Amino acid sequence: MNRVLIGSAAALILQACATQSEPPRAEAPKPAATTTAAAEPKPWPAGLPADALYDPNAKNGTIFYVPTTDTATLKQADHPRDLSRWLTRSHLDTRGVPPPVKKTLDGPLNGNPEEGKKIAMNTGAGNCWACHALPGDAQPGNQGPSLIDFAKRGMSDEEVYQTIYDRRSVNPMTAMPPFGALGTLSDQQVRDIAAFLQSLK
Amino acid sequence: MTKPQTLLSALACALLGYAASVAAAEPYREYVWDATSNPPGVEGDKGHTDTYQYWKDRSKLPAMNGADEWKLNWKFRDRPGNDQLHGGDLAQERGEELYKKLNAGNAFAACMGAPDGNLKGLRLKYPRYDEDMKKVVGMEARIEYCAGKLGSKLVNGSYDNSAVSIYIATFSNGMPMAIDVSQGPLKDSFERGRKVFNLKAGRMNLACASCHVQMVGKNLRGQTPTTHYGDLTHWPTWRGKDELQSLHVRFTECDKNSGVQPLQIGSQSYTDIEVYLSALSNGYPMQAPSMRD
Ligand code: HEC
Ligand code: HEC
Repeated sequence: MNRVLIGSAAALILQACATQSEPPRAEAPKPAATTTAAAEPKPWPAGLPADALYDPNAKNGTIFYVPTTDTATLKQADHPRDLSRWLTRSHLDTRGVPPPVKKTLDGPLNGNPEEGKKIAMNTGAGNCWACHALPGDAQPGNQGPSLIDFAKRGMSDEEVYQTIYDRRSVNPMTAMPPFGALGTLSDQQVRDIAAFLQSLK
Repeated sequence: MTKPQTLLSALACALLGYAASVAAAEPYREYVWDATSNPPGVEGDKGHTDTYQYWKDRSKLPAMNGADEWKLNWKFRDRPGNDQLHGGDLAQERGEELYKKLNAGNAFAACMGAPDGNLKGLRLKYPRYDEDMKKVVGMEARIEYCAGKLGSKLVNGSYDNSAVSIYIATFSNGMPMAIDVSQGPLKDSFERGRKVFNLKAGRMNLACASCHVQMVGKNLRGQTPTTHYGDLTHWPTWRGKDELQSLHVRFTECDKNSGVQPLQIGSQSYTDIEVYLSALSNGYPMQAPSMRD
């Protein structure tokens, strides 16, 4: 666990004490209860602004609404993941993002390329293929450079690790997410993907 | 580290100013600033993607396919280029029915801002600062409010609310969007909206502008983000996935897809983005009902 993550976790707890300047919309449809009557209602996550589409008692917390034909109300649906810990676009959000960090690689890379491939080529996980071409993808993304024969670049394990952990430390203007710094991927996942890239000859 | 970039991304990058926040009051945050034209309007796209030249006139849209289609900003789905009947037409009919029921004695139209019951041009008065609600609102928020005052529930973002919105918008078809963001609450809202549009957020640290400015025209596994200029004259829209979608529901979809916790429909942040994007549509004609993939 690095300092940045601990720092932002502390900030989250502090913000829980800050008062919200605006209550949630009075007209917002009441979230349908998805838990059994016996279950203890869960609290609103610390730091999450009051106008977030969130129901602590829904499957993953984060929800969205779906309109249905010929009705005047909205149906609640579960987002596949709880997104409450990251900064939202709400004016009521008082959180920030972790500043760029150049992370040194502790010990050998020790990554599992097979695992790395699964994470990189999965929209719900690493989602590298949204922006990069990877071997065997019929719909390659083209925002970032192709990674098809990446190992030919001859980058060191540490450089690859740092790039995935926080690309902003290499290129401050990058569009690439700082997967490690944001806690989007775990340290081991970053190592696994790095090992996968280093295997692409 | 320089890697071959296409001409387009080099161009987009040249337009970008990048700034990390330094204001003491705000925690560390990052922005992808776009170069919004001043005064804002659809013509500003000339300094952005420069695709306006292709979709300016719907009756003369050139045929494009594959990798170039994004340059048409989906305007080829609009009439007169596309005569197909779609779910938006059914919504318009339903909206007319609902409107007529609500408007017995003209109370609904008056509340919406048309005291004489003439709906022509009414759509163009939104978003606006609302004296009753004491904040800047979009038309769908006002529909919910006025229906509520008359004892009906039309939740903002619901099918029926959007249907009424489409029905009202049809009376302004062909008239250009023209909201004034040069002063007062709308100016503040525009500035806030612009800032939020450019704020990096969520588990991927992406701003709206990361996709619609920085990655515009790029292929994100089969999806290509288009320009955010001229985007707000066809809402709510009928989506090919069989959903009548309001603009704020579309915002939740973009947030969802980019790993950002979505916000309440009608929230101030979404309304401010609506104001910002509306101003970037100034000069582009209304088109309702519409459909998008
Ligand atoms: C939102 C788009 C996006 C996503 C998602 C993304 N990247 Fe990137 N990536 C980029 C861009 C753009 C660049 C090139 C610009 C730069 O230098 O940062 C880049 C650069 C790189 C580079 C440096 C390539 C070189 O030749 O120097 C590597 C390695 C890389 N990305 C790996 C990954 C991996 C692994 C993932 C998934 C965990 C990933 N990227 C996800 C946009 C993305
Ligand atoms: C991960 C990339 C991504 C991000 C981030 C993103 N969008 Fe989108 N957006 C898309 C794509 C792809 C489409 C579909 C193609 C198009 O119309 O641009 C789209 C469509 C739209 C549309 C519909 C355009 C039309 O004419 O139908 C609007 C409006 C929009 N986005 C606004 C936003 C706003 C506001 C944000 C920030 C809250 C945002 N987007 C964030 C990728 C993104």
